[in-house]
Amino acid sequence: MLRRAFLATALFAAAPLPALAQPSPGQAAPAFTLTDLDGRKVSLAELKGKYVVLEWTNPSCPFVQKHYNSGNMQSLQRRYAAEGVQWIVINSTAASHPEYLKPAEQKEWLRKQGAAATIAALDADGTVGLAYAAKVTPHMYVIDPNGVLVYAGAIDDKRSANPADVKSANNFVVQAFAELRAGKPVTAPSTQAYGCTIKYGS
Amino acid sequence: MTFLLRIYLAVALLLAAATAGAQSVRVDHAEAELVAAVDAIVPGQPLSVGLVIRHDPHWHTYWRIPGDSGLPTTIDWQLPAGFAAGPIEWPVPKRLPIGPLMNFGFEGELLLPVQLAVPADIAPGQTVQLKARADWLICKEVCIPGGADLQLALPVRASAAPSRYAGLFAGTRAQVPQPTTLEAASATIEDGRVRLVYRPASLVQQLEFFPIEEARIEPAAAQTLRADADGTALYLTAVQPVAAEFTRLKGVLVVNGGPAASDKGGWAGEIDLPLLAGVVPQMSASVPATVGVGGGAAAVTFWVALAGAFVGGLILNLMPCVFPVLSLKLLSLMQHQRTEDEARLPHASLRAHGGAFAAGVLLCFVLLAGLLIGLRAAGEQLGWGFQLQTPWVIAALTLLFFLIGLNLFGAFEFSFGGALASSGAAQRLQGDRLSGSFATGVLAVVVAAPCTAPFMGAALGYAVTQPAPIALAVFAMLGVGMATPYVALTSMPALLGRLPRPGVWMLRFKQVMAFPMFATCVWLLWVLSQQVGVDGVALVLGGLVLAALAAWAFGLSQAGARRWRWVALATAPLALYAVFAMTGPGAAPARGGLAKAGDAAGWQPWSRSAQEAQVAAGKPVFVDFTAAWCVTCQANKRLVLSSETVHAAFDRHGVTLMRADWTNRNDEITRELARFNRNGVPLYVLYDRGGATYVLPELLTERIVLDALGRL
Repeated sequence: MLRRAFLATALFAAAPLPALAQPSPGQAAPAFTLTDLDGRKVSLAELKGKYVVLEWTNPSCPFVQKHYNSGNMQSLQRRYAAEGVQWIVINSTAASHPEYLKPAEQKEWLRKQGAAATIAALDADGTVGLAYAAKVTPHMYVIDPNGVLVYAGAIDDKRSANPADVKSANNFVVQAFAELRAGKPVTAPSTQAYGCTIKYGS
Repeated sequence: MTFLLRIYLAVALLLAAATAGAQSVRVDHAEAELVAAVDAIVPGQPLSVGLVIRHDPHWHTYWRIPGDSGLPTTIDWQLPAGFAAGPIEWPVPKRLPIGPLMNFGFEGELLLPVQLAVPADIAPGQTVQLKARADWLICKEVCIPGGADLQLALPVRASAAPSRYAGLFAGTRAQVPQPTTLEAASATIEDGRVRLVYRPASLVQQLEFFPIEEARIEPAAAQTLRADADGTALYLTAVQPVAAEFTRLKGVLVVNGGPAASDKGGWAGEIDLPLLAGVVPQMSASVPATVGVGGGAAAVTFWVALAGAFVGGLILNLMPCVFPVLSLKLLSLMQHQRTEDEARLPHASLRAHGGAFAAGVLLCFVLLAGLLIGLRAAGEQLGWGFQLQTPWVIAALTLLFFLIGLNLFGAFEFSFGGALASSGAAQRLQGDRLSGSFATGVLAVVVAAPCTAPFMGAALGYAVTQPAPIALAVFAMLGVGMATPYVALTSMPALLGRLPRPGVWMLRFKQVMAFPMFATCVWLLWVLSQQVGVDGVALVLGGLVLAALAAWAFGLSQAGARRWRWVALATAPLALYAVFAMTGPGAAPARGGLAKAGDAAGWQPWSRSAQEAQVAAGKPVFVDFTAAWCVTCQANKRLVLSSETVHAAFDRHGVTLMRADWTNRNDEITRELARFNRNGVPLYVLYDRGGATYVLPELLTERIVLDALGRL
């Protein structure tokens, strides 16, 4: 009896595991609920009917600094927020990591940068980041009003931490929106993101 | 300021000219320098130069493909007219895991070599300034973009001597993978699962793949090494969504630890193979033979397999066909230990018995492993159960179990050693109890063969697909596990003393133990009936009656009635003849098993093509890989697969049920099992409508099957 129970346990442990969900453009964007920096709950479901941009950030990362110090990220946020796009800045740095910022610190940094994101949130347990397989900062996602992921990847095609490169770069988010507005499919729905590794907890 | 700088540069140039080096630059957490392999530029001769980065401990920079994050180091040359720089010759990188992500990069001292073309018309005697802007991203917990403007001054001479960096260049060049053509290589992709297979010239224990194109292979995904029928295979995971341009598998293959482990057969090569659509099995968590790559994971898996084999061996002791043999041996030892105190076996002798038993078990397992490996090498597609696919082996086992049963009843006495050895040696063995213990060990393994313990299939599947030394080690570990309780009891007689006191119960116990033996006979005969039909079984049963007569007569002769011995000697050959007449190696097995098993309500006989047709038609398929001689299979079939609940669930989900019957040898099934990294049955596979595969555990419960169906 005991032996049977032991075997059963051992074999249950060996039961097939589902593969890690990895959303692809063209598929439904994984649902999530986040608490924003002011403590309000935000869920993707509530934002249905609107375009949503997810921007993974980490103020300590030179690649994030490139896009904020050059004013590039803020101008994108302003431009699309004005068009009714919900722009969500997410920081998935684990609380145990030295680069972790408390909600108030994150808020202060965004304020100083003059960020114009509609929503900003922490994801210290990495749930949302892992659901989207976000790997770096900045890692960018665009979700259409039907909740379908239409773009995932880099912010632009100049892989550097040099703010001077922003001007000559082809911005993939801008390109995606231009195509979407024109009723065309996104020509580059998925690109290789560049930046600093997201500091997920282990 | 400018003046000082000029003086500084002049001095630096003099030094550089003397040493063929350059000033190194210290930037955040690294020191960078341009270096050359020789001390002078020779007109018209290619020049080996390179960027050296000395990282602070635990800091790293990145390879040409940095992985999930990071940036590759770049070198932008500013060279005098006529000079031209080749690409960076990247050495093999390290895998640098960061949480759930993976980077490819370098730590410690790194040289990135570059070949420079030197103009032929350059005049000797002058000094040439080679300049380069190097940029990199250096990371530990945080990342810092780094860069430096570097220069190297070299004199032009008619000939050059090695510089002090020549050794570093030689060492690094050995690390740079060259384009390689692998023997019988191919790459296939299915549903984001990528399989690279080739026929290695020598043993492959570790394989790592580094993609040299971005967004093709998921950097952090496990890479699974497996020995498949068509060669050594590495299973990779493609980046989702799979890029339309992903039509070739390009990357660096690092074999057995790479060039750094060249003394152990390590090397690396760059490969470029067309990537074709094809069948790529899913590497499910329940497939045990996954050998992780990098960081000694292969070794870890090896130890896990050894531990699994040990536990499997322990469990073998409890199997109904092994337990009686072991209990008997223990009983006989206890008699010596307890009944006649003055005649106690000394502890040392007890231990010797334990050792002899262990040696018998081990030898047997290692021989079995050797046989299996040998047969595989000979190109035979055989599995663990192969003994039981041969009718004469089953007939012989039936006879063996029947005789053991008679012996337990007390019809005659024999030492197990004597039973296995020729009759002439029987007397000697009876006096020589150590060899009796040894033979008990051998016998225990022989009788264990039909009882494929749940762990066995996996451990054996692992062992048989591994290189011979590992396979032998795993088999030996099975033996160690099996022998352990026995050795423990004999080396700690105190434990033996804790066993119940001997008495009449022992005789009863011994007799009771005959029943599992006879039950085993019934089951073996049932298996045999599927192979040789009713007539064959009738003949074997007749043989058993003759064997009983011979055994009884032999028992009488042992009791002193010497003339009965002739009856035994006369009947025994007749018994053997009857048992093997229709089951012998020459006898053709009746191929009825498959059709019969398939006839069972709702089950179709399995074939690869039929299964693929069903999946293609959008139907989920459940395949039961089974054999009549496999106890676990039969238990699962009776208790779970045939239950009302499970049947209703199969119906509800519209599952096509298929049964692959491995009772007789069937190469198609053997190959299919190998695809799942198995070498025996049971195996339960559920294909969903999309063709995704779920491998169920070997010991089924209704819950497990219903849960699996719930995924459809």
